[in-house]
Amino acid sequence: MEIVMQAVISGLLMGAVYGLTALGLTLIFGIMKVINWAHGSFIMIGMFAGYWLWALTGIDPYLGLIIVVPFCFVLGYFVQDILIKPVFKSEVGVREPIGVLMLTAGLWIFLDNFALLLFGAFYRTARTSYTGLTYRIGEILVSAPRLYAFLITIGSAYILYVFLKKTKLGRAIRATGQDRDTASLMGIDIYHIYNISFGIAIAITGMVGALLVPFYYVHPSAGFVFDIRAFIIVVLGGLGSIPGAILGGLLIGLIESVGAQYMTATWTQGIIFGVFLAVLYIRPSGMFGFKQEW
Amino acid sequence: MFHYKTKSSWKKLIAFTTIVSFILISSFVGGAIGAETAKEVKIGNVLPLSGDVAPIGKIGQYARKMAVEEINAAGGIKSLGGAKLKMVYADSRSDSKVGATETERLIFREKVSIITGCYQSGVTYPSTAVAERYKTPFFVPVSVMDKITERGFKYTFRLAAKASWWGRDQFAFIDEMGKKTGKHAETAALIYENTDWGQSTAEGWKEEAPKYGIEIVLDEPYPHTAPDLTPVIIKLKKSEADVALFVSYVADAILLANTIAEMKVDTLAFISSAGGQADPQWLLNTGKNARYMFDIAEWETDLGSPGTKETAEKFYKKYGLVMPAEAVNAYASMYVIADVLERAASTDPEKIREAFTKTHITTGPAMLVPYDVISFDESGQNPNANLVMTQVREVNGKLERVSVWPSTAARKGWQPIWPMPKWEERK
Repeated sequence: MEIVMQAVISGLLMGAVYGLTALGLTLIFGIMKVINWAHGSFIMIGMFAGYWLWALTGIDPYLGLIIVVPFCFVLGYFVQDILIKPVFKSEVGVREPIGVLMLTAGLWIFLDNFALLLFGAFYRTARTSYTGLTYRIGEILVSAPRLYAFLITIGSAYILYVFLKKTKLGRAIRATGQDRDTASLMGIDIYHIYNISFGIAIAITGMVGALLVPFYYVHPSAGFVFDIRAFIIVVLGGLGSIPGAILGGLLIGLIESVGAQYMTATWTQGIIFGVFLAVLYIRPSGMFGFKQEW
Repeated sequence: MFHYKTKSSWKKLIAFTTIVSFILISSFVGGAIGAETAKEVKIGNVLPLSGDVAPIGKIGQYARKMAVEEINAAGGIKSLGGAKLKMVYADSRSDSKVGATETERLIFREKVSIITGCYQSGVTYPSTAVAERYKTPFFVPVSVMDKITERGFKYTFRLAAKASWWGRDQFAFIDEMGKKTGKHAETAALIYENTDWGQSTAEGWKEEAPKYGIEIVLDEPYPHTAPDLTPVIIKLKKSEADVALFVSYVADAILLANTIAEMKVDTLAFISSAGGQADPQWLLNTGKNARYMFDIAEWETDLGSPGTKETAEKFYKKYGLVMPAEAVNAYASMYVIADVLERAASTDPEKIREAFTKTHITTGPAMLVPYDVISFDESGQNPNANLVMTQVREVNGKLERVSVWPSTAARKGWQPIWPMPKWEERK
């Protein structure tokens, strides 16, 4: 029984991180109707940013969030403004716009290889005071950095939700997501909203990277490991849904952790993809049935 | 149209006859040169010298070159009137078909007396078959596939251990440690990456374990690209296995060791199979978490055999590369060949084969490999090819891989620590 509890807790902790990786992806899709293939690369950038801050200046990875998150916001803002916007504009009237898709795919390959060139194919691990620290509750061990990552994830997802629901800018973002032409007619500068939305999404994605630093290795291809997960979760939770992304992440974490106690880890991977295919087939709008909030 | 076709076939015929006559003439000339310079023994080497694996192929080439330079400088093969070893290299391009045709070319065109190679088992397997057909001795320094020396061949000889011996030695070690310390392992957990490499290793384990009365309580193949391996480690903890065996690449090996420390999994020992855990990056990314973990290897720089340090240093100075196990085997192979030729006192393949079967080397540079004896059994396999068990230990405040088993190969003054200290009791 303790083992099952242990598996449930470990699964939820990791699941929250998966959920947060999916959040940035679902946000961009919900608002811009764009699939960001370079998503994993931005996780990797967040990782390296957090890691180098810690390695070079000794700034704690959690404290480093104050720098990493705004940095990633600015990065995302300008990637959208300079790279994506022109392609987006040129395809406004096109029936099947794939230019942006190709652009982000190219960006992914470029960023991963650029990191490889810059940092080499080395694995790096930050050794903070709480790396490997565990809290003990009865027989159950809870990894401290994973617990912190879990709490920060839930907190930031909630803040984002409130921001989108209650603030004027949040409403403008949602309006743009719902119907960009109408939003534009209502006086919203949709390209400015796109810049901000992309910035927010990349800020969240970079934050995941930084949160992983205390308990994960940093490597130019480390983002890709989480990338595939993120895509599955976005589909599970419903494209564009914030609660869907977090719940989908938690579900995947649980399947992976609890499922592995009854079958081999190879099988749980198969099951995750099986669920993914089943949801696509039976409920393409996501298994939780959240209404599109945009 | 017809006219054109005739012309084209004429051209082909001319080209064909030119090539054939060229080959005939050059082979006569080649034969003539060979007869004139009987003062050298040609050794063919099939190696992957281009493509992905080229860096390792080149290392094998450097190691051979270094050994041959030394042998020739010391007077060559004395029983052949000081004949020098002459190396002929052929590029396999990591392709089994190319390896086989290059072997054929070395035998017929280059008229080599012995062939070595080919690094990859997949290339060595068909190439040795070609050499067998033409009765030319083929000496294999590293390829590990079991079957290479299990086909009843008379002309194939292998220095290195077979793939299945890795698992054999891991279990022999577990058994010996149990007897020595009284802490017997009765159950084992097998945790391995789920591709061909991990699965074939695990099959070997499943054959070995029952021989020592060890029950397998966890058989866990995992995808090495999984973002989180905590579920696997929780399972390991639940299984309460006495020992855990691993086959991993680097990234997953890092996650496994760090998660084991996090989940405080206590076993008698963790033993890995020279994959990710042998990569220097593993230790850098796990640090103290890797302490007391065992890893089996072909060769280590701290081995006690005389000349190890000097040879490794010379290699580094000459080529700017750390000498890996492949290089050590290639280097030692040349000395084995020199010994064989010395006793054969002939370049006749039949006499060389005879000499190979009577090999019994216990001293000299060939003993850089950590074996007690180099000899070849009926199948052509060196039955004494054992492996080395290393343990991550603190040496002067720094974590290092220390060779601890078998005792003949252990670093001076070092003993394996079995069982490993419990996580709660470590500071």
